[in-house]
Amino acid sequence: MFKDRSAFLLVIVFTILIACRQKENNATQSVIKKDTPVVKMDDVNPFAPIDISPMDMSYYPVNFPVLKMTGEATGSPVMRVIYSRPHRQGRAIFGKLLKFGEPWRLGANEATEIDFFKDVTIQNTKIHAGRYIIYCIPFPDKWTIVLNSNIFAWGLKIDSAKDIHRFEIPVTKTTSNIEYFTMIFEKANAGAELIMTWDDVMARLPIKFTENNN
Amino acid sequence: MKRSGLICFFFILFFSVSRAQTSEDHVPAVDQSPMDMSYYPDNYPILKVQDKTTIAPVARIIYSRPHLNGRVIVGGLLQYGKLWRMGANEATEIEFFREVSISGKKIPKGRYTLYAIVNPDKWTIILNKETDSWGAFLYDEKKDIVHADVPVQQSSEYAEALSITFEKSTTGCNLALVWDKIKISLPIAFK
Repeated sequence: MFKDRSAFLLVIVFTILIACRQKENNATQSVIKKDTPVVKMDDVNPFAPIDISPMDMSYYPVNFPVLKMTGEATGSPVMRVIYSRPHRQGRAIFGKLLKFGEPWRLGANEATEIDFFKDVTIQNTKIHAGRYIIYCIPFPDKWTIVLNSNIFAWGLKIDSAKDIHRFEIPVTKTTSNIEYFTMIFEKANAGAELIMTWDDVMARLPIKFTENNN
Repeated sequence: MKRSGLICFFFILFFSVSRAQTSEDHVPAVDQSPMDMSYYPDNYPILKVQDKTTIAPVARIIYSRPHLNGRVIVGGLLQYGKLWRMGANEATEIEFFREVSISGKKIPKGRYTLYAIVNPDKWTIILNKETDSWGAFLYDEKKDIVHADVPVQQSSEYAEALSITFEKSTTGCNLALVWDKIKISLPIAFK
C-alpha cells in the first residue's frame, strides 16, 4: 500500500518536472523575432497570433465601461490609456533591460496611447483634449514623461521631434515585484494620478481636471 | 523517509506557486482574454515607423480575444439569434479615421461599438454609437448606425483565439473575423 502510494507520488513529481523542463525548452526555442525577446505563447493562430505582451486598457473614471454598464457613470470618460504589458520573466528591468537616460516606450508593440476626452492640466500645463503617444525616459530617481504627437506608431521608434510636453516625476520603490508592467488611474486631489509600475519601481503622474469633469 | 521528502517537496512547490500569485495582487492581473488591436492598412504602426506610409490609417479595431479552451462556438458559446459582443470584456471598438461606407450606408469618421447577431448561415454585424461600454450589456437598438448581413464562410485554418483583422479588397477593405473554423468578412468601402 505504502509502496504503491509513493510510486504514485513519484509519477506525479516526474510529470511536473518534465512539464517544467518542456516549458524551459520552449522558452529558449521559440523567440519572437520582431519585438520583445521573451517566450512565445501561441503558434496556433495563423491570422493574428496572441501577443506575448498582451494589450490592455485603463480608463478614468476607473473601470468606466463597468460603471457605465451598472448605471454608475454616464456620458464620456475623462481619459484612457491603451498599452501593451511586457512581463519580467526573471529579467532585471530598470538600469538593465531599460537603460537609464534612454527613451522607453512605456509598454511593448504599438506605441502606448493616451486619450484625453477633455482638457486636463499636468504640472500647470494645459493639455488639450486629444490623442497622444506617451513615453518615458527612466533615471534611477526620476522619470521624464513625454507626450508626443506621432500617433499610430510602433513603440520602438520614437520620433522625439514630435514631442509636445515633457514632465519630470519622482519614482518610488515598491515592496513587491510587479511581474507585468501596469498602467492604471487612481483618483486623487482635484483629479487623478496615472500610476505606472513595473518590477520594483512605481511612478505617479498627477493629472488635474479643470472643471466639473471628475 | 522517502514519503516525507516528497511531502516536503509538495509544500515547497505549493508555497512557491501561491507566493507567485499573491506578489502582484494589488495591481490588475493580466486578462484571460487579452486585448489586441488591428489597423487598416494592416500593421500600420510598423509601416509608419519604417516610413513606408505617409497617409493616415483608415480604420482600427480594439477587441479582446476569448479562447475556445475546448469549447465550440457555433450554437455553443454563441447562441443563434442572440446578440454577441464580438469579443470579451470592454465592448469591441471600431474607429474610422475618415468616412467609409458599409452596406451602402455612409459611416462618418469616429468611434463605434461592434456587435453581431449570429446565425447558422449569416451574421448581422451592427455598428452602434454608444462607446466606452462593457460587453453587450448596454446595447440600445436606437443607437445603431448600420446593420450588415454577411454570409458565414468556412475558414481554411483553425483559430483558437478570436481574430479580427482587416484585409485589402477592391473597394476598400474587409473586416475579417476568424474563430474556430468560421470566417466572417464585412466589406468596408472607401474608394
